[in-house]
Amino acid sequence: MNRMRASKDMWLWISGAALVIGLALATAGNRFAAFIIGIVFLNVLWTAGMNLLYGYTGLVSMMTAGVAGIGAYGTVKLFLDYGWSFWFAVPVSAVGAAAVGVILGLPALRLRGFYFVLSSLVIQVALTLVFIYFPQFTNGDTGITQIPRPGLWLPGFGAVDLTGPGFEIILGLLALAGVAVVYMIIRSRMGAFIIAIREDDLLAEELGIDVTRYKVMVFFISSLLMAVGGAFYAVYTGFISPRSFDVLMSMNIWLMVAFGGRGTIAGPIIGSAILVPIPFLLQELYQIKDIFYGSLIILVTVAMPAGVYGTILKWWRVRRQKQNTAVAPVAIKRMPAE
Amino acid sequence: MGVFGVELRRRHEACRGGDRCGGGVLGRPLRFLVIDNQTNPTQALAAARSFDAQDKVLVISGPTSSDNALAIYGYAEQNQVPFLVPVAAFPQLTKPGTQWTFRLEPAAVGWGYSIAKFVEQKKPGAKIAIMYSDFALMRAIAAGLKYQIPRSNLTAGPEIVFPQGSSDATIQATQVRAASPDYVVVIGAGAFDNTITNQLLDLGVKPDQIIHPFGFTTNILGWGARSVGSYFGTFFDHDLDGVTAEGKKFIKDFAEKNGRPPSYIENFCYTTPYVIKQAIEQAGTVDRAKFRDALRALQTKETTSGVPIAFDKNGARQEYIYYMQITSMDVAKKEYSAKQVFYMEWSPEVIPVYDLVK
Amino acid sequence: MVDPNLLIGLSMLTTGLVLGAIFALTAAGVTIVYGCIWLPNAASGQFFLLAPLVAWSLSTAMGWSPILAVAAVLIAGLPFAYLLERLLIRRFYDVPDRNIAYFVVTLGITQILSGVFSITWGQWSDQYNIPPLAEGVVFIGPFPLPANRLIALVGALALLGALFVGLRYHRFGRALRAVFQNREAAALRGVDVQRIYLGAFLLGTSVIFAGGLLYAMAYSFDLSVAWSMGITAFAIMIVGGPGSVLGALVVGMLFGFVQAAVSVFASPTAATLSYLLAMLVILLLRPSGLFAR
Repeated sequence: MNRMRASKDMWLWISGAALVIGLALATAGNRFAAFIIGIVFLNVLWTAGMNLLYGYTGLVSMMTAGVAGIGAYGTVKLFLDYGWSFWFAVPVSAVGAAAVGVILGLPALRLRGFYFVLSSLVIQVALTLVFIYFPQFTNGDTGITQIPRPGLWLPGFGAVDLTGPGFEIILGLLALAGVAVVYMIIRSRMGAFIIAIREDDLLAEELGIDVTRYKVMVFFISSLLMAVGGAFYAVYTGFISPRSFDVLMSMNIWLMVAFGGRGTIAGPIIGSAILVPIPFLLQELYQIKDIFYGSLIILVTVAMPAGVYGTILKWWRVRRQKQNTAVAPVAIKRMPAE
Repeated sequence: MGVFGVELRRRHEACRGGDRCGGGVLGRPLRFLVIDNQTNPTQALAAARSFDAQDKVLVISGPTSSDNALAIYGYAEQNQVPFLVPVAAFPQLTKPGTQWTFRLEPAAVGWGYSIAKFVEQKKPGAKIAIMYSDFALMRAIAAGLKYQIPRSNLTAGPEIVFPQGSSDATIQATQVRAASPDYVVVIGAGAFDNTITNQLLDLGVKPDQIIHPFGFTTNILGWGARSVGSYFGTFFDHDLDGVTAEGKKFIKDFAEKNGRPPSYIENFCYTTPYVIKQAIEQAGTVDRAKFRDALRALQTKETTSGVPIAFDKNGARQEYIYYMQITSMDVAKKEYSAKQVFYMEWSPEVIPVYDLVK
Repeated sequence: MVDPNLLIGLSMLTTGLVLGAIFALTAAGVTIVYGCIWLPNAASGQFFLLAPLVAWSLSTAMGWSPILAVAAVLIAGLPFAYLLERLLIRRFYDVPDRNIAYFVVTLGITQILSGVFSITWGQWSDQYNIPPLAEGVVFIGPFPLPANRLIALVGALALLGALFVGLRYHRFGRALRAVFQNREAAALRGVDVQRIYLGAFLLGTSVIFAGGLLYAMAYSFDLSVAWSMGITAFAIMIVGGPGSVLGALVVGMLFGFVQAAVSVFASPTAATLSYLLAMLVILLLRPSGLFAR
């Protein structure tokens, strides 16, 4: 059984990898389309982190963009000013950013529900101010421009050109890896614990789960994903400024998870794939962008609390349940196990 | 944090209105980048990329004043697309080594420098107080002014910085008043500019002691009729001495359409298509590199005011500024008049622009 | 020549009072809604801006007298709030963790309103001045205070006083406070909780509108006010204690004086960061705020 699942999983990841490489190559001729795909991949990575935090652990964090920003600024500083290799700068600054995120978020993680949301929002606003008011590290509100793409030397391939579709492929594989990390956590014992925390943290505490420890672990891992995404965003777009990592970005990442379907692996991917391209494709309608996004947020909260994928899943289950009832009424008893 | 968010959109409209090139040049359309301060940098970059890769434009031009200008600058330089910026005063857009970007508006550091030159000529040894909001543009102006004050043998008065989102300046105005400077330079952001101005006037500072580094129609009207007598810097105004016949027509048409006179912002937008057209005609081709070389070599004049247009090796414009004194104002009718009191031209690197603002 | 220190002292006093009273009033509106319905209104900054924008249009484009415009906006605000409550707010009364749901929904409203502002008022101007109710200055000792700002100050203080007294002694105010403290007990005692929710939303929203109008009488404003005011009102509510009008009053005044005084003694940037720090410390150490019962 496990083996079957493992081999099924492997095929899933391989076809996922084939899909991202295919998408990157298919858009190679049109650098605008390729850019949209690249940004979608980055958002898949970010929403994977947000999904772990919000979808599976129930923590609505509004400081995710700030953590991504620390990762980005840290990487750019090490890469450009200290001359580190980009590939070495990313893990160092990502771990650093995740550590800073945990240190800032740690006291807040003790808080429940809404107070955590608020604290994380305050931390996000403070981080944005830090990005603006400490120009010696961040170049202030004008931002850092002309960040070059790094080179890559792969054994067996030699120097790989990353100006073309190579970088989109890397972003795609990175996104896939992020989703895989979340998937593996959810399948593990830790996954069962954090879902228990989401459902009822007091009960989880009583059952002997160290709630704060697991929250911190989840927060660290998701911050890591955010920061790596931020670092790649910086070199991919070539520009970062405080507004690249403001509270609106935190909200957008949250929205993609909620819109796609929180607490599902596919939901956030669907959310990113639908929502990210919209502002790029509707450039002429830039004036109604905010109204559109706002309405979407309200619509999702009111009408589709489970998100697009969650609603489809629910509908599918109800349908299957009906069919099963018609054929074999006994089957119903197994349903609550979901 | 959109200081110019609104103005940008109007600039864009003005640019569309100012497209006098009849649907393009040499068979290629002219397209303008539509972005504002609420656009995030990712979208600005996507828009630039879309123009470059999808529409294969010859040159990107967009009324941009926020960090988006820097984002597109990076894109233009890395991807070798000519980028002509009508309205954006960041010096970084033409920092040494710039190959593809050209800035029509003088750099903000230079505006500050020119204030000191203006005061030096008006009242030698005068004491200058500075009040500014903590935004990149305002910091740049203040940096230029502070650099030049001692060199122009002027006296530095109090210097007050307001954080973004301030709403009251009474106390700071009182402090400034107590130091009794000869001139107060007010560089507020958005509506706060009006608040500082009016609170200074409330406390008895005379209108002709107040200097605004820049004035475009809506913010001049925002200062209110009490500001008659104050000075402001500009790059075009309907009351300039040297408005040409074409400039007069532009002013008249614009006022009829919009119910208010145009200011330097609209003028830069009006001028941009003209500059592009001239460069294309001189290049004789729509090759990007040749077009860039033609822009570098361009020696022309603004058709509305006769001010020379030429770019230095980094794409910075040969700098110039006018100072005007407000002589009358009717806020309800959206009208004001002003008289030209000072004009100067200078080379961008007379002051260490790129060291003062990084 | 008057002693400059006296002038600076008086300017600090008047500025602190004007800013503090407006902050306190706005935060009181936010805290009434949160304390009663558990609705943390992220769109309060946009509401704060909406009222003076409409008043600006009425008084400049339509030529109404400013007094009439202000009154019209306050009256028109009621059906606006009523519709919002009926169409949207009401749906969540029974949702568990509804404060998070509300927060998200009001963030959506924030986005919609800022989009609406930028395609309407944003196109018409980039800074707004409501014509003054009274011209001239009033001298407080040697210090000149514009008459218009004095009116705004008096108005804000009067409203705050009325709010405080009304909540304490009026029948509706007492029922509202009963729901603040314990909604189940209030319901058992025969209070129609849903009606109180509606009343609290109408009252809180109107108070925020009034705060915005008073602000616009005292200062020029632009679209960025929404964001900075929203954050400030939230910070005051959290530090003062969600649901505590007294907390909003005391902390609002405090914030007003801090913003007024800080540039005399420290860097203004430090002030902005210190707001956030105060808010964070309170959240972490005493999430229910300083004035919670």
